[in-house]
Amino acid sequence: MNHQTKVYESIFEMLPSEENPTPLVRLSKLNPRAEFPLYAKLEWMNPFGSVKDRAAWALLRDLESRGELGNGRGLVEPTSGNTGISLAAMARARGHRLLAVVPNKVPLEKKVLLKIAGADLEVVSDELCPAPGLGDGSINLAKTHAKASAKKYAMPNQYENTKNWEAHYETTGPEIWRQTEGKITHLFVTLGTCGTVTGTAKFLREKMPEVKVIAIQPTEGHDVPGLRNVSQLGVSKLFDASLVDDILEVDFQLAYTRAMDLCQNEGLLAGPSSGLVFSGALEIVARDRQGFGVMIFPDNIFKYTSNMIKHIPGLDSGTQP
Amino acid sequence: MANYSHPEVLVETDWVKQNLHKPGIRLVEIDVDTKSYDAGHIPGAVGFNWQTQLQDQVRRDIISKEAFEKLLGDAGISPDHTVILYGDNNNWFAAYGFWLFKIYGHKDVRLMNGGRIKWLNESDKELTAERPKIVPTQYRASGPDLSLRALLPEVLRRQPGQTCNLVDVRSPDEFTGKVIAPPGMTETAQRGGHIPGAKSVPWSTAVGSDGTFKSADELQKIYFQEKGVDPMKDTVAYCRIGERSSHTWFVLKYLLGLNNVKNYDGSWTEYGSIVGAPIEKN
Repeated sequence: MNHQTKVYESIFEMLPSEENPTPLVRLSKLNPRAEFPLYAKLEWMNPFGSVKDRAAWALLRDLESRGELGNGRGLVEPTSGNTGISLAAMARARGHRLLAVVPNKVPLEKKVLLKIAGADLEVVSDELCPAPGLGDGSINLAKTHAKASAKKYAMPNQYENTKNWEAHYETTGPEIWRQTEGKITHLFVTLGTCGTVTGTAKFLREKMPEVKVIAIQPTEGHDVPGLRNVSQLGVSKLFDASLVDDILEVDFQLAYTRAMDLCQNEGLLAGPSSGLVFSGALEIVARDRQGFGVMIFPDNIFKYTSNMIKHIPGLDSGTQP
Repeated sequence: MANYSHPEVLVETDWVKQNLHKPGIRLVEIDVDTKSYDAGHIPGAVGFNWQTQLQDQVRRDIISKEAFEKLLGDAGISPDHTVILYGDNNNWFAAYGFWLFKIYGHKDVRLMNGGRIKWLNESDKELTAERPKIVPTQYRASGPDLSLRALLPEVLRRQPGQTCNLVDVRSPDEFTGKVIAPPGMTETAQRGGHIPGAKSVPWSTAVGSDGTFKSADELQKIYFQEKGVDPMKDTVAYCRIGERSSHTWFVLKYLLGLNNVKNYDGSWTEYGSIVGAPIEKN
């Protein structure tokens, strides 16, 4: 493995670490305050395409090291997005199968992507009129498989497994600390399983307790893939409120318009969750006026063309002869 | 049990675990999406599909008495069995099944408090993907007891607030007409809103954070004091297709002991499509 020449014997050698961090790129046009530089951490530069590589690898390695996989036993996980893609591709490359349990409302292109990455797919009916706090159909179905067919399935459980946040404590946090030479004052992240915020914030707070951790969430009723509003956080056991200074609620439409801004002005082909993070970061830049911000950009725009068409008026005009 | 009027119709998951293999007990999981049953169910439970096995497949109606007898006979259930029902979506469809069992006169049918979610999340409870071995029976039903069911003419005839309580158990957005049905649902209606005079008490008001029913004291406070349901009057519960309202029907009739409670299973998909029927919004 040589990170200088970038010649690797296996795709897994490319996974991020302090020695091989994902890039930090400074925003040059869209940030109005030179006294508060904003750097985007480009998680789509991970080998399987998103920030979820970190947790997926930690979860998979944990199961392997405990002898939980093999002899006909694969994985089952409720996932509709990046975790599934990372986990499926990694698992298949290491000789395991993944059954991804997916809500029906997930767009066709994502279901197909999961299959391309090597997942077996089980699609569940959407929740009809869910009561708050009672979980989600895909999580419960995955748990059912793991409980009823334990010889066939092990469930990593990204929503509850501490290996998820530990991955960020061991990689994302140290990378940012080293890359910014300890200058970071503000960390900007979105919330999903909450592994990223908990692990990264925990590491950075240990290095410098005054680092501000800003979590950005879309307004309720949003359709930004992979993210959760605080009202939906009950499903994640990894959220630690003591590590978060502010939770900003940002109009979810801005996830799409800001992503478009990033694509067209900064050359950053960022996805909607990155657009949301950026939108929240701009609010804090205006409020705090000075600092050194790092924004975690979870993935790029390529999976989201249909979402963008839905939210950016006129985007699909001129696409037909 | 929590001072309910008819505690005998509700069993806890621990009780089910202890009584699982007793000869007079039969378990039935009722789901809208039977993938859950196929993936794993309580050992010995048979699975009923609400859409294909509890609904008449030609006209819009509950299954006939003959179909009910065949369904239960094929499931190895006899009229003298204690039948425990549980299911997905927080027991809505199991509650609908309970209502159907009562319409056709099954004496001892009970609901498992908290449904399959509660069982799933308890570490000492087993699940299996193996289907039980069934010895079919010749089931003979009685009824139907139509005093449990409200049909459209009765709903149109009643004057809510004066002669009866009408309880709309749908979400607030369905009640106000902001949406006609929850997103993505295929069963819908021509208009949004609610039946004039109905009180909005969403089904989930009756359960706690683990999906089990609230205590009788809490339920009385919610339905009688806060929402103004008059326990001395007849009551009709409705939702969109009659399954969430079965859940509230169960609460009002068996946990709170109201005398005359009916489930209007035609619900909003019927009422909201009637030409000329009065509708309120907000």
